[in-house]
Amino acid sequence: MTSKNSFLASCRENHKRRIWVWIVAVLSQLLLYGGMMMIYLSRIRGYQANGDYRSPAGFQEAMCRAARDALAFSDNLYGTIFILAAIIGMQGFSYLYDRRKVDMYHSVPVSKDKRFAVVYLNGIFIYLAANLSGMILGTVIAVSQKAVNVDVLANAGLAFVWNLFLFLAVYHMMILAVMLTGNRFVTVCVFLAFALYELCLQSQIGSLKRIFFKTYSEYYISTEPKLSVIYDCTLNIWNIKNASDAADAAAIAMPIVAKWILIAAVLLALTYLAYKKRPSEAAGQAMAFPFMEPVFKVAVAIPIALLAGGLVYDTSYQNEMLQMAGMLAGGLIFCAASEVLFDFDIRSLFKHLPSSGIALACILAIFSVFKWDIFGYDNYIPAQNKVESIAISADGYYDSYWDENRPYFEKSQFEKENMFLTDTEPVLALAKAAEGADPETMGDDRYVQILYRLKSGRQVARAVQTDYDDPATEELLNQIFRTDAFKKGVFQGITDETSYAALEGIIYTNGPARAVIPVEEAGRLREAWIKDMEQFDFSLVRHNRPCGILYFNYKNYNQRQWYVYDSFENTVSALKELKAYYPMELDAADIESVTVTCYHNELTQQDNTVDYEAEPRAVAETWDAGDTDYSVSETFYDEEQIAQILPHIYCTWGIDAPWGRYKDLDENYSLEVVFKRDTTYPYQRDSYYFGYSFYAGQVPDFVVEATAYSGESE
Amino acid sequence: MIEIHKLTKHFEKIKAVDEVSVTIREKTVFGLIGTNGAGKSTVLRMISGVLKPDEGAVAVDNMPVYDNVEAKKKLFFIADEPYFFANANAKAMERYYSGIYEAFDREEFYRYLEKFNLDKNRKIGTFSKGMKKQLALLLGICAHTKYILCDETFDGLDPVMRQGIKSIFAKEMEERGLTPVIASHNLRELEDICDHVGLLHKGGVLLSRDLEDMKCNIQKVQCVFVSMEDELKALNGLEVLKKEQRGSLCTFTVRSTREEVEARFATVDTIFYEVLPLSLEEIFISETEVVGYDIKKLILG
Repeated sequence: MTSKNSFLASCRENHKRRIWVWIVAVLSQLLLYGGMMMIYLSRIRGYQANGDYRSPAGFQEAMCRAARDALAFSDNLYGTIFILAAIIGMQGFSYLYDRRKVDMYHSVPVSKDKRFAVVYLNGIFIYLAANLSGMILGTVIAVSQKAVNVDVLANAGLAFVWNLFLFLAVYHMMILAVMLTGNRFVTVCVFLAFALYELCLQSQIGSLKRIFFKTYSEYYISTEPKLSVIYDCTLNIWNIKNASDAADAAAIAMPIVAKWILIAAVLLALTYLAYKKRPSEAAGQAMAFPFMEPVFKVAVAIPIALLAGGLVYDTSYQNEMLQMAGMLAGGLIFCAASEVLFDFDIRSLFKHLPSSGIALACILAIFSVFKWDIFGYDNYIPAQNKVESIAISADGYYDSYWDENRPYFEKSQFEKENMFLTDTEPVLALAKAAEGADPETMGDDRYVQILYRLKSGRQVARAVQTDYDDPATEELLNQIFRTDAFKKGVFQGITDETSYAALEGIIYTNGPARAVIPVEEAGRLREAWIKDMEQFDFSLVRHNRPCGILYFNYKNYNQRQWYVYDSFENTVSALKELKAYYPMELDAADIESVTVTCYHNELTQQDNTVDYEAEPRAVAETWDAGDTDYSVSETFYDEEQIAQILPHIYCTWGIDAPWGRYKDLDENYSLEVVFKRDTTYPYQRDSYYFGYSFYAGQVPDFVVEATAYSGESE
Repeated sequence: MIEIHKLTKHFEKIKAVDEVSVTIREKTVFGLIGTNGAGKSTVLRMISGVLKPDEGAVAVDNMPVYDNVEAKKKLFFIADEPYFFANANAKAMERYYSGIYEAFDREEFYRYLEKFNLDKNRKIGTFSKGMKKQLALLLGICAHTKYILCDETFDGLDPVMRQGIKSIFAKEMEERGLTPVIASHNLRELEDICDHVGLLHKGGVLLSRDLEDMKCNIQKVQCVFVSMEDELKALNGLEVLKKEQRGSLCTFTVRSTREEVEARFATVDTIFYEVLPLSLEEIFISETEVVGYDIKKLILG
């Protein structure tokens, strides 16, 4: 009869066999929570002693934040929980490894179901007791230091749920590994295979795609593991920790927890099934079910082989044939090693050759699929009538994106959410043109990332290599850039719904000058800028550099940047009215000096092109001497000379040119412009000088002469 | 009653037990004899519900035993290497088993411990192999199950302890109908304990008989006949299992009762004849030789 009392008595009896696990679990949690709490809070007290907090409220907020970090989501904690779940899971059912124990436990009148329930529930109980002990200790310390508020407790509660289901997912994974195996070593191998398989396989498949597919892109669609709790933790802990409050943290954490519940439930069902089917004679064997041996061998041989091939590829100067050899060798070695593992006999190295053959065939097939692009990955361009819309990202522009709910998110995310090009023809033409293009002949080869949203609901991402200097490409990009869909999908300033209430300041800068504009002018400036953006296309940004940037500064250090070009008449006019416009070209009367440095890249390149075969000694001497510094600097103080220089330079200090030509500026020269201290020009006084570059081909002759290399470096 | 019907068990490609059918009656001591690897332990582990048979069935008092708590309540299995918890002493083991077996007699257990000079507080890990077997037997006896399955449990016990355990078995059989099932590779170990013996070889049962039946129905006769005619006349109608002759002294092993053999030999002219008792070993040698096996190689080495 299985009564409640006898069940509890069995639980108590089982706990007696698990004392060392109790000690490890409780100690680890007490030390972790207690230790972290004390360290974090003492750190804040140290900052306070240094005068880092201006108000008691600031100090109190920092203390609570520290308590939250220690008590709630922590990078230190999930690794410990992972290990703890593995230990508890393995120890609980480890009697299955030992024939003597199996003989005893399976012969006594206790049903298998009851034994499973007792051991399984006791494992959870040990974790809960240990985790709660740690949390209580941490809370007590936090309370004693007055570092607790509602948010700390809410986050701690949320973290408790997160950690519990993390524990359960890993715990079930380990128990399943125990049920499928017959000794500790193989159990650990199978457990690691469960925990890391998807992560490892996806990573290796991604590597193969990167090596062999020129159109492979992870920009819009990254191949994230779907079932890896390790990956989930690694990826999300930071975001959850930095959520503004418990509700925001829950919004990120709960979908992941829901997934873990599902994973844990499936694993538990499989575990129970394996437990019921597991023969007692499996004790001491490698695998409890003989059919698992070839399955394990073939399944694990594949990522191992891919990993080995990747290592060979990286260390053999990217030799693809050696990579294939490395894959086969890695697969073969693993197959042989797994046979030794299964039999605990070195003589079993070449046992079960058919399954080893299957593993090697799979490895070869995978290599072939990538090497010879058997499924036409690189040739994929969808038919126009099958495409619903497209998002595109042309290399050359980057911005930081944020909104009211997210402190930061990637440009690709913004484009995915906001760019829906329905005029798909130019994009498809761009992809088609890239098919046969040779990057070696390109003047300025750049990647364009494309996300095809198909009418079927499927999304496909590709990267195509294009030549920005090619007129045909420029025309296609013009067609794309001119669309409202593209502009809305790239510039948050256009789609921005953020209230101006959060706006704290507006700045216009041309590099050195910095004009502060009242926030009341925000609407007017935005309207003017959006009006000017009607003329926006690829040619505009390709052949013109911005004359300045408008910065809208919001609370929490958030910012929007709006590029202004000379042709943006409405914006420039508004800025002039506000007396905030300063042209890029400076007045020599404001300048104290201009220091020009010529790097003489032509001489450095000459050094690098010495033929080793023909002149090994020359190369050796060059290496021995290290890189020669050919740079020559000259400072000009004469106002007349400065006046000749200024029309030909562009500020590179804080100003970049989206999609601009690298070749527009002369890379051989750099300039440092120093303003007169008594000038009325509103340059930023916290900087001593400002960096500039010459426009390509516009270096005055007297500057060339003055910075000529005379044979001695400076 | 434990009924074993066509029990078969494979370990990978090895057939460890091959269609074994045996019936173990209540209140008898059943001996399971066989060489190492004959399948004794596997049969016992299937009887105790540890292993699931590939084919065939085990029924304990008409109940299937595998994963059946009610059937297992009637059994106590002592493996060849009994397991005791790490760092446990006899008290800890008693607490465990008394929590599982409702009829476990704690007082009796501690009484037996004293009788066998086993310290209840001493760590079992420090016990000798024989002491561990004694402890396992005492735990099994005090669990008060109907059947106790002992796998090589008597091997290694000194004669005094064996005698002590045998006495307890006899008492328990008398008082509550205990049925011990004892597996051993050594026939001589079981000779003075068993009522019924099953002989396993290469996974199958060579024979299964009551010892008394065997002893009563098989006789050894030494005699010197006067003539060949007398010999033929004396043996006419008797099943001769074995004949040995040294000079004129003949030794016959015949299947018959003592009375019938004596009656036959009394009617013929003999210079000398004597009906001798057979040891269990000799009985087995005769019986298995009949079916073509050399028992000396099987169990006597």
